[in-house]
Amino acid sequence: MSFDLYTLKKHLIQQGIFFEFSGPFSQSLLAEMGDLLKKKMKLEDASSPTILKVFSLVVEQTQNIIHYSAEKLAQNQNGSFDLSTGLIAVGHSDGEYFVLTGNLIDNEDIEHLKSKLVQLAKMDAEELKQYYKTQRRQHPDHKSKGAGLGFIEIARKSCRPLEYDFIPVDDKYSFFSLNAHIH
Amino acid sequence: MHPLIIESTKYTPFVSLNDETHHLEIKGESYPENTAEFYSPIFAWLKEYFGQPHSQETTLEMEIIYFNSSSSKVLMDIFDLLDEKTQDGQRIKVNWVYDQENESALEYGEEFQEDLEHLPFHLVVKSPT
Repeated sequence: MSFDLYTLKKHLIQQGIFFEFSGPFSQSLLAEMGDLLKKKMKLEDASSPTILKVFSLVVEQTQNIIHYSAEKLAQNQNGSFDLSTGLIAVGHSDGEYFVLTGNLIDNEDIEHLKSKLVQLAKMDAEELKQYYKTQRRQHPDHKSKGAGLGFIEIARKSCRPLEYDFIPVDDKYSFFSLNAHIH
Repeated sequence: MHPLIIESTKYTPFVSLNDETHHLEIKGESYPENTAEFYSPIFAWLKEYFGQPHSQETTLEMEIIYFNSSSSKVLMDIFDLLDEKTQDGQRIKVNWVYDQENESALEYGEEFQEDLEHLPFHLVVKSPT
């Protein structure tokens, strides 16, 4: 066989990953993934606050892909359904859950995003709360399609500073990945 | 005016806004893809309803199990509108209903409560069914 899925599966399991999806995302897929992950974590006896935190990261990180991925399969005239492509992986290792997402972004958007993430990494829980509340009353910046609160919410839910990476793909795009941990 | 009823979906809440009973209710989960689109009829209804004074007290019952960050922004906008109308002399109260098991629902409620000046905003534990 030319493509060895079993090796891929073993590799994912070694990393503690029990759920992964790669391809075009939709809102209804997100709802189904959310249900499935809640059931799976319940079977593993995760506490309800933990389940809700993981679910909320899955929602925010997936909606980031839906709204901001630079890789889109089809574009509607009104832009409402344009099949954004990306990856999500949810896993458990060292007593923590993690939600890992990745998608292409325009190279020109890297600086803006990086400065936002650097700023969040410097804040403690109380500062993140205050920043969230201040931003909630502001008009979102021009790059933002949501409320501009997504990354703050992700940082607030994560028990450790967010891990992120930008891997150059070509002169137009880079691959952005984000990892958030939940205790 | 007419009551506004929106049935729930997996990612949008049940909404019932009734101008005759003065009972407003938003219940369920809220993480639509396009938050502004979902909440715009609700916002329009509230603006029209509070455009005139009511002799009776209006109660908004909120029981949101989960909401995403962009819904949080819209909910803040709704509470800000109600806060402003309360300052103008309208009698409004919000009951933020949360499940004892769901500690983040309580925290979210507290974070709205802290940011409101005039609007009575009550945190209410859901009674066991």
